[in-house]
Amino acid sequence: MFLSFLTDLFQQDFMLRALAAGFMLGILAPLLGSIVVVRRLSFIADTLGHFSLVGISVSLFLSSIGFSYFFEKPLYLGIIFSVIGGLLIEFFRRSYKNYKEISMVIVISLGAALSAIFFALASKTGSLYEYLFGSILTVTNYYIYLIFITLVIVSILFILYGKKIVAVSFDEMNAKFLGINVGLFQLVFIIMLSIVVSVLLEAAGVLLISSMMVIPVAAGMRIGWSYKSTVIISVIFSELSVLVGLWFAYSFTIPSGAAIVSVNIIILLIVALTKRIINTRRIKNLSKNQ
Amino acid sequence: MQIYINNLTFAYGIKTVIKNLSLTLNQGDYLVIKGKNGSGKSTLVKCLLGINEVKPASIFYDENDITTFKNWTKFGYVSQSFDGFNYEFPITVSELLSVSSSKNVSAQDRLKLLDQMKIFNIQNQNINSLSGGQLQRVFIVRAMLNKPEVLILDEPTASIDKQNKTFFYETIEELNKQGITIILITHSDGIEHLNYTHELNMYGDSTNEFSTRKLSTEGGDE
Repeated sequence: MFLSFLTDLFQQDFMLRALAAGFMLGILAPLLGSIVVVRRLSFIADTLGHFSLVGISVSLFLSSIGFSYFFEKPLYLGIIFSVIGGLLIEFFRRSYKNYKEISMVIVISLGAALSAIFFALASKTGSLYEYLFGSILTVTNYYIYLIFITLVIVSILFILYGKKIVAVSFDEMNAKFLGINVGLFQLVFIIMLSIVVSVLLEAAGVLLISSMMVIPVAAGMRIGWSYKSTVIISVIFSELSVLVGLWFAYSFTIPSGAAIVSVNIIILLIVALTKRIINTRRIKNLSKNQ
Repeated sequence: MQIYINNLTFAYGIKTVIKNLSLTLNQGDYLVIKGKNGSGKSTLVKCLLGINEVKPASIFYDENDITTFKNWTKFGYVSQSFDGFNYEFPITVSELLSVSSSKNVSAQDRLKLLDQMKIFNIQNQNINSLSGGQLQRVFIVRAMLNKPEVLILDEPTASIDKQNKTFFYETIEELNKQGITIILITHSDGIEHLNYTHELNMYGDSTNEFSTRKLSTEGGDE
């Protein structure tokens, strides 16, 4: 069964595209996810995804009143709205310094409400499903280029500013004494994250994008012994879940995003359980020796 | 760097915490700020670090008003019980110090500081596996990495044992001898034997008293 999947994977164009998109998503999501988790902003991708959806729904609305360009490329407005959502989060985070999570609730609610309104105005509520859950099996060549460019830009930013990104994420207050402009950093980071989330949206979907960013990192955290090892392990788990998820999606005709996330959860459970068993045995051995 | 506090008053809403505080510290001075919990010590630190916004002309660093001051790399800061640091996510001591170093700090400088703090052997350990004392030394190394002119320590001995406290105070004095200005905030007694040069008592009713100590050549009290 897996062999026939592998044969099809390299023989059918749509499977190759799915694999390419999945491979890049498998790097991007946990790479940014690790920063998001350290900064305790695990829900941010979900929030940005909802706001990106506003851009897509506005695109569909505009195309319904005659601007057909927006129907072909709804992602552009999705990116713009995702950035607006990111800036709104940052604005509310600064307004409610001690209740930063409030910013997420405000932006996610606004995003959900506006999306529902514009999808209804565009009479396209039927297409809401594909944006909520995404489909990596139907991505186009154009999308592959877009995700590739995003991966290159994010990689360059991490190579150039990786140290600073990690320093601010672990200790925002201390970053000031390292000569880092924390306010500017936060702004740049949220814009970068907004763009990445809206690009990943097509493959992962609004409801699953957050899990693709956070769950591999949650599993990696359990066994990582350093920051670097945790990120590498998270990327490996992420890639594994993309490959196995695609196999499940293809074999059982189930939504690809849902299959990938389910595999992610299974990996997390296996890691957590194995770690628990090892720890229990270690404690038993220690008490025996004493 | 000269630190000049000019008639500083700070209030949270209608509650005045610091009132009419003035003092001057020169490079190499060692100030101990004493007071009970809630007396305004940490509030003062937050003012000095630019976290609490103060009125213009209240604090000057080398004649630069804090409201426009940008050169924060001249400061090293070790916070109270390491609050603000996320030490649940895996990161090794070595990784943390590496991301906290500016370009002109070499790996050798880092190793030297780790050795000086007697934590050379834990550089590859995960931050979340360290004891309170080890963690505190790591944060002192981090604060010292970029060669600050002023080191501010906010109740740094709160979560460490007696042996580590002694080592800590010795280290701070050593750094002070190297010319670094020290500002140490504490609510613990029994620090009279330390060779600090200035003392600020905060009484909790927004009043305070600043005094200069005369130290004997042996390093004892006046």
